[in-house]
Amino acid sequence: MKKIFLVLIVLGASFGAFSQGKFIAKNAYISFYSSTPMEDILGESNEAVTILDSSNGEIVFQALMSTFHFKRALMEEHFNENYMESTKFPKAKFKGTIEGFKKEMLTAPVANIKITGVLTVHGVDKTITVPGTIGMEGGKLVATSKFKVTPEDYGIAIPSLVRDKIGKEMEITVKSSYLPYGQ
Amino acid sequence: MKRIHYIFIALFLLIFSGNTYSQDLDALLNAETKPTIDYATATFKASRIINGHSIEQMKKRQLDFRISHRFGPLNDGAYGLFGLDQSKIHFSLEYGVTDWLMLGVGRGSLNKTYDSFAKFRLLRQSSGAKRMPVSLSYFTSVELNTLKFQDPTRTNYFSSRLAFVHQLLIARKFNDKFSFQLSPTFIHRNLVKTELDMNDVYAMGFGARYKLSKRLSLNAEYYYNYNPNNKFQDTKYYNSASVGVDIETGGHVFQIMLTNSLGMREGSFIPQTTDDWFDKGIHLGFNISRVFSFQKDR
Repeated sequence: MKKIFLVLIVLGASFGAFSQGKFIAKNAYISFYSSTPMEDILGESNEAVTILDSSNGEIVFQALMSTFHFKRALMEEHFNENYMESTKFPKAKFKGTIEGFKKEMLTAPVANIKITGVLTVHGVDKTITVPGTIGMEGGKLVATSKFKVTPEDYGIAIPSLVRDKIGKEMEITVKSSYLPYGQ
Repeated sequence: MKRIHYIFIALFLLIFSGNTYSQDLDALLNAETKPTIDYATATFKASRIINGHSIEQMKKRQLDFRISHRFGPLNDGAYGLFGLDQSKIHFSLEYGVTDWLMLGVGRGSLNKTYDSFAKFRLLRQSSGAKRMPVSLSYFTSVELNTLKFQDPTRTNYFSSRLAFVHQLLIARKFNDKFSFQLSPTFIHRNLVKTELDMNDVYAMGFGARYKLSKRLSLNAEYYYNYNPNNKFQDTKYYNSASVGVDIETGGHVFQIMLTNSLGMREGSFIPQTTDDWFDKGIHLGFNISRVFSFQKDR
């Protein structure tokens, strides 16, 4: 009797702990945009996966390079072949923590936040702090962020020949709408 | 004693579950990231390896404008600027109707030939969620020779001027740098110059590329002709052999090559290459490809 009881407690505890307080979005939007007088480049993915842990404000993102799409087929090819080297580095990832995280942030209306964490692109890790928003909007938990990155910081070389067509900085836009994990 | 045992197990499980809990969001994230089908892209840089078609084709709503030149023999020397004084030209417009169908029209100055072609993508090499070892395409074209008829006094038929090309393109991108292609080819010419020329030509194409850097690759191409029929012919026919480099600069691809063929269409360079690499028959040439996108904003 005691044995079963114990096992139940343990199982309950472990199961509860595992799925409790996590939020997930499997179709998060990530884009990057560069604008020059010569050319505008916009790559978009609607298949990024992100998980938010409400117990400690940890937040992770992961996007496969192959899910990014462009208006021009050649841009997509060059993105994968020449810049991201997608066969070598198939994923981009971000793992960070919301600064001054409180659980109430997730139930309050959308408010500005700051997130610090490690962004991994092209196999290069870099610690960044980016602005964002999080909160309830239309009954859903949503998070957004907009920030700039420099390709050279991630070991992505842009040859002088096309330097005029690719911006010095890429503007990254992230939008995700979360659901409780396990639903 | 037994109780202690259970407590121990319970503790162990708790610790273990605690572990899975903090076992980062990473594992969870990886489990939730759907595996994708990773298609091999850019097996070759352009839609031609050198003279012949590669497995590559224009994606939907992309237009490729191509201009190609083949110059005179290199051994013309400085007097003929190494062949640059003479040139054959071919230009074409090639359009991706869908991601799997490309249509093109072109005109070549050799034999004043118009050509139109279709290239169908049948299989795409992929890894990940779906595995396919090779890419396969079917290429077909019709070539129309518009030289004046040699003998205008006899009855000449329009159909006499047509040649038909069928090709299977089988390619594999072995790694980021090396790709290889086989191109079994069948050509039917309605009318040939002499009785000795074959109406039906069977050939096998071999093509390869090796990337020297991200934007520069070394290419080689060879077409083996199974029935050249060189017996009793004044003009001997040779297998087409070419080496070249691809230089990519954003929307342009420059292909610069040395080849023994002057023709730039299958119906001419496969059965009608009359120059020999080993007998003053090397020509300098280039292809320029410029891609325009007609894809509307999404």
